[in-house]
Amino acid sequence: MNAPDRYERFVVPEGTKKVSYERDTKIINAASFTIEREDHTIGNIVRMQLHRDGNVLFAGYKLPHPLQYKIIVRVHTSSQSSPMQAYNLAINDLDKELDHLKAAFEAEVARVSGEY
Amino acid sequence: MEGASYQRFPKVKIRELKDDYAKFELRETDASVANALRRVMIAEVPTIAIDLVEIEVNSSVLNDEFIAHRLGLIPLTSERAMSMRFSRDCDACDGDGQCEFCSVEFHLRAKCINDQTLDVTSKDLYSSDHTVVPVDFSDTSSGFENPEDQRGITIVKLRKGQELRLRAIARKGIGKDHAKWSPAATVTFMYEPEIHINEEMMETLSLEEKTSVVESSPTKVFGINPHTQQVEVVDPEAYTYDDEVLKKVEAMGKPGLVEIYAKEDSFIFTVESTGAVKASQLVLNAIEVLKQKLDAVRLSEDTVEADDQFGELGAHMRGG
Ligand SMILES: [Zn+2]
Repeated sequence: MNAPDRYERFVVPEGTKKVSYERDTKIINAASFTIEREDHTIGNIVRMQLHRDGNVLFAGYKLPHPLQYKIIVRVHTSSQSSPMQAYNLAINDLDKELDHLKAAFEAEVARVSGEY
Repeated sequence: MEGASYQRFPKVKIRELKDDYAKFELRETDASVANALRRVMIAEVPTIAIDLVEIEVNSSVLNDEFIAHRLGLIPLTSERAMSMRFSRDCDACDGDGQCEFCSVEFHLRAKCINDQTLDVTSKDLYSSDHTVVPVDFSDTSSGFENPEDQRGITIVKLRKGQELRLRAIARKGIGKDHAKWSPAATVTFMYEPEIHINEEMMETLSLEEKTSVVESSPTKVFGINPHTQQVEVVDPEAYTYDDEVLKKVEAMGKPGLVEIYAKEDSFIFTVESTGAVKASQLVLNAIEVLKQKLDAVRLSEDTVEADDQFGELGAHMRGG
C-alpha cells in the first residue's frame, strides 16, 4: 500500500543530480561522491578499480539503506592525486576495460560461429 | 600523473555457444567486474514485454488480471529493445506509451466453437511488428514428439462457447522494474579451482585409502587411474568448494595431501537466455549497458567547477 513505486529504483527525480561531490572538511584529499539511483553494480566496480590506483589511500562504498536508492563512494588519496582525479581515472579505466572485453567477446563469437 | 592508467585487458574464451546458452571463461579481471556483468544481465539489459492489456471479452475460467499477468510473462523477441525508447522518456507520445517508438501492439481473438477444448497459446498473439513476436521454442528440438505440443505457451483453455478477445501493449523495460523484462533465465559464474595433489605423499597411501579420498568428494572431482592406480583430478570444475576432501585428508592425518585454491582472476560463466535475445547478444548488451551506466556516473561540469572555486578558497585559507 505504501510501497515505493518500482521505477523509483532507477529513475533520477527531476532536479536531483546524478552525482554530487562533497569534500571532507577535516582531511585534505578526502571526499565522498553520492551517486543517485545506483547500487552494488556500480559501487563495487568503482571501489575495486580505485584500489588499483597507488595514490588511493582509501576507497569504499556503502548503500546506506535498501529503500534509499543511492550509494556513497568515499575516496582518500595521497597529495600526488585528488579524489576527483582518482574517480575519473577509475571510470575511464573501467570504460576502456569494457571496450576491450567487448572486442574480445565479439572476436570469440565470430571464431566459435565460424566453426559450425 | 597525466597518462596514468590501471586498466586491465580481460581475456575471453567461449567453450559452448547456442542460441539460448553460452558457457565461457573470463580471465584477467576481478570478481567485481564479473559480478557487475552478471547483475546487469539479470536486471538491466532491456527487453520487450506486454505491459498493458485491454480485455474486450473474457468468458474463460481465468479472471482478467490473471490473464494479463500471464501475457506479461511471455518472452518476446527483443533484438529491437536496445535501440527502442522507454515509454517514460518517449517524447513522441508524451509518456502515453502507445507510439511506434516505444511500444508494440498485440491482438488476440479466440473462441471455442466445438466440443474439443481449445488451447489459447502465445501463437495466437498477433503482433503489429514482425520483429517483436512471442519466442518460438518449437525448433529447439526440446523433446516434443507430438506436433500438438509445439503450440507455444498456453495462456488459457477454453470450452465450448467461451471466448477471449483482447488488445495488449508491449513496452521496453528492465528486470529491475519487473522480472518479466529480464532476458536471463540464469546467469552464474564460478571461480576456476586450482587443485594440487601431493604425489609423493599420495604414493604412501594404500589403494583403499586412495579410494576413500576419491569418494570423500560429493561431486566427481577425482578418480583413480586404472593402470597406474594414481589419484588424478578428473574434473576440477565439478568441485563445489565444499571442503569435504580437505576435511577428509585432515582426518587421515595427511594435511597438504590435497590443496585447493580459487584462482581470483579466472571465472567460468554460464548464461541461459529466456529466448528474448541470443545468449551471446545478452553478454554484449550487458557490456554496453554497463558502459552506459559508467558514463552516467561521470562528474558533471558544474560539479567540477563548483569544487574548483571551493578549492581556490581552501588554498587561500591554507595560505597558498
Ligand atoms: Zn512513445
